[in-house]
Amino acid sequence: MDLLNRYLEAVRKHLPWQRQDDIIAELRANLESQLEEKEEALGRSLTKAEAEEWLKQLGAPIQVAAGYQPQQYLIGPHIFPTYRYVLKLACSWAAIIYSIVAVVQVFATQNPSSNVLLESLLRLPFVLVNTAAWVTLTFAAIEYTVAQGYLKLPAACAPSPGWTPGALPPLGSVHASGKKPRSYAQAVAELVFGILFLGWLLLIPKHPWLLMGPGAFVLDALPYRLAPVWVPIYWSLVVLNILQLAWSAQNLARGKWQEPHPVARFVFKIIGLVPVILLLSAKDHITVVLKQPALDAAHYAAPLGIINLYILRSFQVITAIVVLQLVWDLWQLVREDYRKRAAAMQ
Amino acid sequence: MTIAENLFENLRLELRRGCLTLAVLAQLREERYGYTLRKALADDGLVIDESTLYPLLRRLEAQGLLASEWREEEKRNKRFYRLTPDGEQIFAQLLGEWNAINASVTATLNSTTNTTSNGTL
Repeated sequence: MDLLNRYLEAVRKHLPWQRQDDIIAELRANLESQLEEKEEALGRSLTKAEAEEWLKQLGAPIQVAAGYQPQQYLIGPHIFPTYRYVLKLACSWAAIIYSIVAVVQVFATQNPSSNVLLESLLRLPFVLVNTAAWVTLTFAAIEYTVAQGYLKLPAACAPSPGWTPGALPPLGSVHASGKKPRSYAQAVAELVFGILFLGWLLLIPKHPWLLMGPGAFVLDALPYRLAPVWVPIYWSLVVLNILQLAWSAQNLARGKWQEPHPVARFVFKIIGLVPVILLLSAKDHITVVLKQPALDAAHYAAPLGIINLYILRSFQVITAIVVLQLVWDLWQLVREDYRKRAAAMQ
Repeated sequence: MTIAENLFENLRLELRRGCLTLAVLAQLREERYGYTLRKALADDGLVIDESTLYPLLRRLEAQGLLASEWREEEKRNKRFYRLTPDGEQIFAQLLGEWNAINASVTATLNSTTNTTSNGTL
């Protein structure tokens, strides 16, 4: 039967070449037996339409041949959990390292601008895709070599090698209190955005419009400028951010992102008061001065006094709010500590 | 195909997969070639596509559960399969497992039916 021969030839094309003849011979014998029985029952040969219908029921040649192929995975179920974990970890660290390098590069250029920053930001997806591709390729190679029997599954690739129940992380107070612990993605996102914030902060002195928008050009035209007291305030903010980033990165590296240490958080809030204290301790509470005092003092001295007074009052209110919040946090810390001690004694 | 139908089809295939192997091993306690095996299974109510059965025979042979031999029958060369000693041993174990599962599911169904009946009374 011509149609059957054509069908078998089409199947052959998709079979593993070492076993093509053997498989086709067996398939032919089985199908010819089937055909013979069909024709015997009908008392005649199958018509072209009937033969086509029969072969259609058997399935497309590529589908029939696929059944004879060994089951293959790009990344099999044995190593997939490890692959997913490594992929997440690699992409997170790639994003962190890239962000740090990008910030350094922006400042290494002669004229750091928002365009350079934007270009760096737009390159981030390519970095992530590249990292994911390399991780996938590595695991696909491991899968292939293990499947072919060239290699035993490396212990490091097995899901949770050397896992013991005793090594499970403690629930911790945040979890026990019913609040959802921070996810890894959240912790990484905070770190990445922290790095971007630091970059933005470092760009402000040269590009004040990044902080104030078009208002920066208006301020430029005014007879006022910021007093020198703002310089240590600015750098204390930068140092504070760097410290926080280092702390977050360390928490992430040590696997403690779920529940950052509450005392450390409290300490950072206290350090956060340093810039405000510096501002409040400015000599005579002067935070804004005239650009040309000799020329403008007569006209602008009075408004300048009002501006300085409002800035002082605003920061006094902010300080009061922050101090109240600190007192509340301290109370929470003491209460939590007491609760833990009481629980331990029971 | 609706989502429910699709889900049922996936679960049905999953359920059938293991049963098919057991049925094929059971049939091959007697020597058969592909087509007669398929017919025997169909006669017992287990219809299997050619594209599923014939590759399955190859896999079971590669796993050492079946042995095959080319032989001429009715002027046609055919590949005959039968259980190997290892295949017989594995088949006996699988049959024991199948009976245990069957008994458990039946017991669960009976107890669920009784609970439901008591609840409605």
